[in-house]
Amino acid sequence: MINRRDLLKWSAVAPVLLGGSAASFRKLPEGVDALVLDTRHVRRGLAGPMVHAFDGDVTQLWFETLDPLWRRPGFVLGGITGADALFVLKRLAWDRGRRVVSRSQLPARHGSGTGPLSWVIAPVHPSVKV
Amino acid sequence: MAVLPPDLGASAFARMLEEFRGAIGSEWVWSSEEDLGPYRDSFSPVWNLAEERRASAAVAPENVEQVQAIVRIAGTYKVPLFPISTGKNFGYGGPSPNVTGSVVLDLKRLNRVLEVDDKRNFALVEPGVSYFDLYREIEDRGLKLMIDCPDPGWGSPIGNSLERGIGYTMPHFRDHFGASCGMEVVLPNGELMRTGMGALPGSNTWQEYKYGFGPDPAGLFAQGNFGIVTKMGFRLYPLPEHYRTGLITVPRRRDFVKLVDHCNYLSDSFLCSEIKFASPLAALMSDPDFLALATRPGGPSDAEMDAAAGKAGLPSWQVDLQFFGPEAATKANWDYAKDRILSDIPGAEAFDGEHFALPATATQLLNTGQPYRSNIRRHGALGVPSLEMWKIVGDDGHVGFFPVLARSGEAVFEMQRVMCDALREFGMERFFNATTAPLYWHSFAFQMVLAPSVRRDDPEHNARTHAAMKKAVAVAAEHGWGDYRAAPVYQDDVAETYSFNNHQLRRFHEELKDSIDPDGIIAPGRGGVWPRRFRHLRGRA
Repeated sequence: MINRRDLLKWSAVAPVLLGGSAASFRKLPEGVDALVLDTRHVRRGLAGPMVHAFDGDVTQLWFETLDPLWRRPGFVLGGITGADALFVLKRLAWDRGRRVVSRSQLPARHGSGTGPLSWVIAPVHPSVKV
Repeated sequence: MAVLPPDLGASAFARMLEEFRGAIGSEWVWSSEEDLGPYRDSFSPVWNLAEERRASAAVAPENVEQVQAIVRIAGTYKVPLFPISTGKNFGYGGPSPNVTGSVVLDLKRLNRVLEVDDKRNFALVEPGVSYFDLYREIEDRGLKLMIDCPDPGWGSPIGNSLERGIGYTMPHFRDHFGASCGMEVVLPNGELMRTGMGALPGSNTWQEYKYGFGPDPAGLFAQGNFGIVTKMGFRLYPLPEHYRTGLITVPRRRDFVKLVDHCNYLSDSFLCSEIKFASPLAALMSDPDFLALATRPGGPSDAEMDAAAGKAGLPSWQVDLQFFGPEAATKANWDYAKDRILSDIPGAEAFDGEHFALPATATQLLNTGQPYRSNIRRHGALGVPSLEMWKIVGDDGHVGFFPVLARSGEAVFEMQRVMCDALREFGMERFFNATTAPLYWHSFAFQMVLAPSVRRDDPEHNARTHAAMKKAVAVAAEHGWGDYRAAPVYQDDVAETYSFNNHQLRRFHEELKDSIDPDGIIAPGRGGVWPRRFRHLRGRA
């Protein structure tokens, strides 16, 4: 289960990921089991076995990856996405006893428009907590 | 604790929650402000205002016996329950109740696909089963069936059909309540009832003959408050062998009248799937001169619209047609549609679209290979659930008004004129401009749409949306057009318009409600049906 210290670390890591200067990023932030990155906001190129990129349409990511994982206990998910994608993910997460436990607004990549959100979704219900 | 149920003090409320915990387990009963957050209507136009409807608690039973136990406990304390399936009814109230202080009965844990049969072509599911769940079950088992799902497809077949929701395939499947067949219901006294052949012990035709014998009360549970549906059957489409598309355009504005008549013939003859009308002239709406013409008070003349189309080199209307069946049959039906329409409407043109064997590939589902600009959302058209729709939902969501109108070109033109003028004061005239096409979602009626946005941080914007919705309901009713579905905050407004013979239909419903649910335990106010105990809340819950 992610703790407060890990969440603080995540809030420091997320802007670095957004800036794209972490192309050599090798491991996930502590306490986070996987990352989802919305390529409308985060440049392509960040990769790893538990880094999932998508273009704002959550369908495939959720159906093939997250839904099976969220049916089991545990699994903390970090993400940098648009607010629309987070709305979908948080509603689906809620169905599986999970909640957004950290959320912060990031600046837009090119300095204009609405920036993405960085967030963490973690299990909170006893049925899925480890 | 956020709010208390009506007519219940804090100590009695605490005792009731304790009884709920004893019945279903303490981890499945919620009453804190934080835990109840997801049970608010995310798209509410009255967010944080007195008019917003808030739950006092939520409970999530695991099975039918626990649902019955919850109903009996609620009955003891005379506390209203508001059942939800998966709570995804966004735009129509989401998971929020009609009466503040109700306990949300969240059925998400009743999530079993009980039966799917690809020889007799039906499914039997519980309310917590989503369209994705049903689709996954069919895929995993390799069954040759196609579901019909809404867009987005994260809701449940039971919840959506009880809202009279729609999909996008053949007429007899995309009317989701119409495609239902047999239900099991927990009544307000906690008793269990099955409709149709389900009432006959030993019958194995519950999902094949919906009526059984005698009066069929199934319709009372759609947009109603007479019971809690815990199982429901659905007819399913045997996976067709082939899918074919085509586009037909017509040059003049008035050609739409004939085009609609022909499409009605094709649809009512079950020759084609959902029909998608559009006007290519909508692309001109960014031109201020055309915008002024298409939204002019009283509407533009046919000649003016035809002149604009001619100047732009565009046809006035188009229709996307879709065909299912054996490959040869899809071709024959498309050829017939072309011959029928092109021989009757001078200047009409037809364009062959893609066609392929089913099931579709991931690339085919993207619908990027058409030789023309198509308005088909391919996932929904082929019964594949998707969440992509959320990419185009703006602000903090929207509310929806979908008036039902006759399937004729003249009716469309009249609604364009009337509603465009009615909504001008709110800056929403574009929803009903001279290029707005009707939706062919329901099998035998058109609808058009007002879906103004909601912004959490802009009460003035929301107040405008709220006022526009109420005016739209009233003005539409003056012309015989009624909404088909509404959020709790608008249900009394809509029910008020269905007023034939001094509201005899509503009085009939309320006599029934008083008889079987005198304390108003099940969703008082839903569908505009108020039990005597709560009738004083009509129009001001």
